Amino acid sequence: MGFHAPSKGTAKVLGFDIRHDARKVRSLVGYMPESDSFIAGMSGIRFVRYMAEISGLPPEQAMERAHEAFFYVGLGEVRYRKLGTYSLGMKQLAKLAQAIAHGPKLLIMDEPTNGLDPPARQRMIQLVREIRDAGDMRLIISSHLLRDVEETCEEVLILRNGRLAALCNLEEERRANRKFLELETMGANGAFSSALQQLGCECAVFSNGRMKVVMPDKIEIREVYRIAEQQGIQIRKMNHRRDSLEDIFLNAMEQTGAAHGGL
Amino acid sequence: MAVYKRAYRSYTGPITAERWRFLVLTRYSLSQLFSSRAFSWFMMVTLLPVILSAAYVYVTNSVTAQLVLRMGNQSLLSVDGTFFSKILIAQAWMALFLTCWAGPLLVASDLSNSALPLYLSRPLNRAEYVTGKAAVLVLILSCVTWIPVLLIFALQSSLAGGSWAWQHLSFVAAILAGSFVWIAVLTLMSLATSAWVKWRIVATAVTFGLFVLPPGFGEAINGVMRTSWGRVLNLPYLLEMILTHMLGAPMQSHGPFSDQPLPQFAAWVVLVGVCFASLALLNKRLRACEVVRG
Repeated sequence: MGFHAPSKGTAKVLGFDIRHDARKVRSLVGYMPESDSFIAGMSGIRFVRYMAEISGLPPEQAMERAHEAFFYVGLGEVRYRKLGTYSLGMKQLAKLAQAIAHGPKLLIMDEPTNGLDPPARQRMIQLVREIRDAGDMRLIISSHLLRDVEETCEEVLILRNGRLAALCNLEEERRANRKFLELETMGANGAFSSALQQLGCECAVFSNGRMKVVMPDKIEIREVYRIAEQQGIQIRKMNHRRDSLEDIFLNAMEQTGAAHGGL
Repeated sequence: MAVYKRAYRSYTGPITAERWRFLVLTRYSLSQLFSSRAFSWFMMVTLLPVILSAAYVYVTNSVTAQLVLRMGNQSLLSVDGTFFSKILIAQAWMALFLTCWAGPLLVASDLSNSALPLYLSRPLNRAEYVTGKAAVLVLILSCVTWIPVLLIFALQSSLAGGSWAWQHLSFVAAILAGSFVWIAVLTLMSLATSAWVKWRIVATAVTFGLFVLPPGFGEAINGVMRTSWGRVLNLPYLLEMILTHMLGAPMQSHGPFSDQPLPQFAAWVVLVGVCFASLALLNKRLRACEVVRG
């Protein structure tokens, strides 16, 4: 957005250089800030119209688009009320309306569901999905709420200390992500994991007897119990799991943390 | 199709010229200011000295009016540099009051509501933001300073004849120069103050205080140091210096050490310096986001 001057390197947004074509970039981008940003003393519709005019729309078109945007986000009935009287959820939706009123090609949403109650959150998620599926604009969502990200995004980019920690396509990740067993054992040692590997399983051993076992389809769980019994190992907990975005996130954090000498 | 039935669609219509887009800010801010009836009334009140001056000019040039008012000593009535300096100084104070009212509304409310990211995420840079907001004050202050005073000059010219206008043409330059420097000082100081003090009431008090408190401090310096340089802290005094010099009018006495006038360049340097300092403060403060470290 040009809020911070770049120190070095180059970057392009929608084909435009962020240094030399910053104005062009900003005209193609819609931004929904995280903080409670609005203009004091204005009605909702006037606020969105004002923002659209600053983006370059003539007054008549800005007014029309402001009405459209307000109805689109579901605030049509309250568009003439002062912004100061809006609830938190309504303010979030008004911020979304101002971000899309000028018809951007790229929409950047900073924590769009932050502080929303469950129905308002659902409404916001639904809107984001609709905008995504319409295909008129691309979306970038910055959020710590990984569940929301999983529900709305196709690709996830995890940053740590301003550096890229992981980049994954969620759909591919879901497809590639095999089911695994999470075990909590008592007395498990290298022999146990070796025996499982001989069966064709992939094993990862963690501290305190915890293990992750990826099993081929042909192997049944009773085989794991049989080996445990043979070796006198107690299996205290067994869970079937898939890697969630949270696991991917934590993994990325651990890996980059280790690369940088720990957390 | 009715607006409420429409789904989202991208915009493909006309776009306004980028060069003049900052005027959107000016238009909306003016509209917000004049939505207050009290402000509209106050704006009219600030023109009272001008109306009285216009009446004075008329009486000065009308023998009939003087007879009706039974004014014996006509030599006391004159429209000269002193008259214009007095009316300009009166209007300069009115401009200060207007600035204290309108200035903090422009920037302080945006900062207190974290609205800057909304402006600066659009094709609008910080300079245009400041220009758009400053244009509001420039327009309003122009309406109470050089525009009405030039109208009085025009009235006097029409009543006294074309030769008077030619003989006093330098007054026009003085009126414009004095007004512009004062408008620049008020506008930039007010915006800078509002940018640093986010609360509107406090910003109003600080703006007013910057014009009335430092003169007292300056006089204290004068008293202790036995000098007249403390008056560089008195911005209205510096404006008066410039105006009286350019209009060829005598400077009014300002207490002790009035016999040691400051050089003209000092007045200009201080007023222009205040403008640049205000710009530097605005540049430092008006950022789209605040980085919180730690």
